[in-house]
Amino acid sequence: MIELKNIQKSFGDKPVIKDVSATMQAGQCNLIIGSSGSGKTVLMKCMVGLFEPDGGQVIYDGKDFFSLNLDEKKEIRKEIGMLFQGSALFDSQTVQQNVMFPLDMFTNDSHATKLKRANEVLDRVNLKDANKKFPAELSGGMKKRVALARAIVLNPKYLFCDEPNSGLDPLTSMVIDKLIQEITKEYNITTVVNTHDMNSLMEIGDYILYMHQGNKEWEGSNKEIIFSKNERLNEFIFASEFLKDAKEMRMLEETGKLPDEIREKPAE
Amino acid sequence: MFRGMFARPENGKMYWKEFMHQCNDIGIGSLGIVTIISVFIGAVSTIQTAYQLVSPLLPKTIIAQIVRDTVILEFAPTLTCIVLAGVIGSKIASELGNMRVSEQIDALEIMGINTKAYLIAPKIVAGVLMIPLLIIISMTLGIWGGRLAGVAAGILSGETYDRGLLDGFKAYNVFFALAKSFVFAFIICSIPAFYGYYVKGGALEIGRSSTKAVVVSCVLLLIADYVLSALLL
Repeated sequence: MIELKNIQKSFGDKPVIKDVSATMQAGQCNLIIGSSGSGKTVLMKCMVGLFEPDGGQVIYDGKDFFSLNLDEKKEIRKEIGMLFQGSALFDSQTVQQNVMFPLDMFTNDSHATKLKRANEVLDRVNLKDANKKFPAELSGGMKKRVALARAIVLNPKYLFCDEPNSGLDPLTSMVIDKLIQEITKEYNITTVVNTHDMNSLMEIGDYILYMHQGNKEWEGSNKEIIFSKNERLNEFIFASEFLKDAKEMRMLEETGKLPDEIREKPAE
Repeated sequence: MFRGMFARPENGKMYWKEFMHQCNDIGIGSLGIVTIISVFIGAVSTIQTAYQLVSPLLPKTIIAQIVRDTVILEFAPTLTCIVLAGVIGSKIASELGNMRVSEQIDALEIMGINTKAYLIAPKIVAGVLMIPLLIIISMTLGIWGGRLAGVAAGILSGETYDRGLLDGFKAYNVFFALAKSFVFAFIICSIPAFYGYYVKGGALEIGRSSTKAVVVSCVLLLIADYVLSALLL
């Protein structure tokens, strides 16, 4: 479980995160959503320690990350896997070398054991026969899958994904979402995903945190979000007619009632 | 930047591998250009020295002495290092800059790796080790290039040149050149590493920081050259 307590972060005079508190549930897919500039990436970077917050605490299973010394922080970081928006694969290394890198750095296993583990995770992300390829030879979706394989190769307790669907077609996005969801359940990882993708929101969002201009605007699950009365949230998520229809379909699916009936008796 | 570099490695083998990789990049990777410029510098020095020595009273061996001393004292360490500042400096700055912009450095940080120690320290240590070796090669090739040009142009015979090389040779000059090359090597690797590691923005900024790194390195090389000459000669 990751607890955020009163996180604040400013760049110069501009506050980007304003007193955000939330709890990322263990073994679940936790989504941070919000429009561009709402502070979700900064919040995620504060969570993984790439930015130090101006105020507040990030607590990993009872340990306040920013009050730990360097070695203790390193220990927590070894339990973190992260999938970056641009994949962040090492250009000069092959797929196999990229995935084996954390194993080479942090384990003393034999080459054969490390190779076996790397192949296992590459299989898990449905990427076979790409071991000898370089990142430049891969498609966007393949790069994300390699990055995901690298992120989970050390069996992390926490997985962070920064906009995993950006730049991908809808079908590949769904594949990545499904992988993230399956891996979260399979390895019992606490997963935190930054996303704009409405499909991800509905499909994998066990817990959703909606950010607006650096504030926590709403939190709940993907079941609750369709009944939310928060205007900003509704405006953000159900912006198009198509999405409004989809919302009503989902309401019908969840309650067995037509949306008009629900509107008369709004859910809490 | 330097404070963060001195930390216990997460895995000595991986750091060693990175160090060897940098030795190969900096040392072997620059050998071609060092060979070319050294041979030509020596050759041109011989021809120009002969051109200016018009007095028949001066022995021909003096040409070899002048070429030897200018190559050892100045051309091999300074000129080669200015070229290396461009070759190695831009490579280091753009490599680290690209890693910063494409979040590869963040990815290493999140894995719990000390990126300054893993990415910068091996480059500086490899540079400080390999560049003086390149300078020794440059001195040798420069002097040999001078002999080659002198003989080919009929300025002096090989024997005369060799005799000139031994006349009034001071081992201290080689020590001075090596002392300079250690300082220059540190500048060539650390300044671009700083500009590359702390780059912000995108592709345009990587290019700018590379250029700036090379320019600053060259200026610092010239300043260090003057200071070391004033102090050690």
